[in-house]
Amino acid sequence: MTVRKFQPPNRLAKMIKERGGILAKDAIAAAEAGVESLRESSLANLDATIAEMERRFGKGAEGRDAESFEALYILSSRIIDVSIFVSDVGIDRAAVSLCGLVDGFAESGAWRWDAVDVHLNALRLLRSIGAQLPAEQREAMLAGLHQVSRHRPDEG
Amino acid sequence: MTEALLPSQRINLERATVLVLDDNGASLDILSQVVAGFGVKQMHRAESVVDAQSLIRTKTFDLVISDVQMPVTDGIEFIEWLRREGGETNRYVPVILVTGHTRTTQIFKLRDAGSNYVVAKPITPKVLLERIFWVAREDRQFIECETYIGPDRRFKHEGPPPGTDGRRKDDLPAEVGEAQTPNMSDDEIANMMRPAKVQI
Repeated sequence: MTVRKFQPPNRLAKMIKERGGILAKDAIAAAEAGVESLRESSLANLDATIAEMERRFGKGAEGRDAESFEALYILSSRIIDVSIFVSDVGIDRAAVSLCGLVDGFAESGAWRWDAVDVHLNALRLLRSIGAQLPAEQREAMLAGLHQVSRHRPDEG
Repeated sequence: MTEALLPSQRINLERATVLVLDDNGASLDILSQVVAGFGVKQMHRAESVVDAQSLIRTKTFDLVISDVQMPVTDGIEFIEWLRREGGETNRYVPVILVTGHTRTTQIFKLRDAGSNYVVAKPITPKVLLERIFWVAREDRQFIECETYIGPDRRFKHEGPPPGTDGRRKDDLPAEVGEAQTPNMSDDEIANMMRPAKVQI
């Protein structure tokens, strides 16, 4: 097999050090201000996604067995996408745990609804009163979720 | 290795043309706000790989930031396409992939897609700017072969994995072996460390 190793031109490298520009700290501040303008819409999006999860995959959802693993995986990914405003309460980490859980379902081909339920409960709880919970309780909850997510019943 | 980005470091992305790709509109909005905050004036947004491919065919980009998980064609396939068929002006462009979670079946695919860096979502401006700075300043060589096109996947040169001879001609064994030249004297070493006046 022929392998070619070379140094391609990197236009970005030249541009980034050109005269002018802004200080890194100012660039970060400007970006943070821009993101802040999306807070309301992002949180509305997050709440709508959690509500959709509850409706389609929650404990009382009829026909949840017929849903695809992919559908729940995508919804969970969407929570991570907009969780920049709630990462301090761990919603992003709970959603990552749920993604891992569903990824495992896709491999085994079977749902474990108790594990889904506990993740949806945690997401709802963190979203509603996450900021009021003591940090150690939140951490314990997230650690528990990851344990549930990693658990593979067929591996003992 | 490249140096870290300091708050007092000046960066100039005014002339950079950047492509941001994410199928989730809310996520694309966040990414776009971050990139615009960095001073980028020429930003092109795409909500699907098909749209991104059209842009790649008609414009020259200096940076691509793409989501990984997307329906129909995902970010991994897009970067593989870009590296092979993106045209000479865009094939080697620095690429940052962003992802909230990587499926077990995609871990190796993600490593082998040909991106320069993978950033975890939710993205924060500080982390993304550090990574942009990093990909702009890195000096990794590009590798092009039948099975892979992209920056060298070895970030650090620590020799081949233990117990193997390595796959490359320039891989050195982990054992140092016998010295080939006499040891340096104490004076020679001391001279190397001695502070010296320099004219600036």
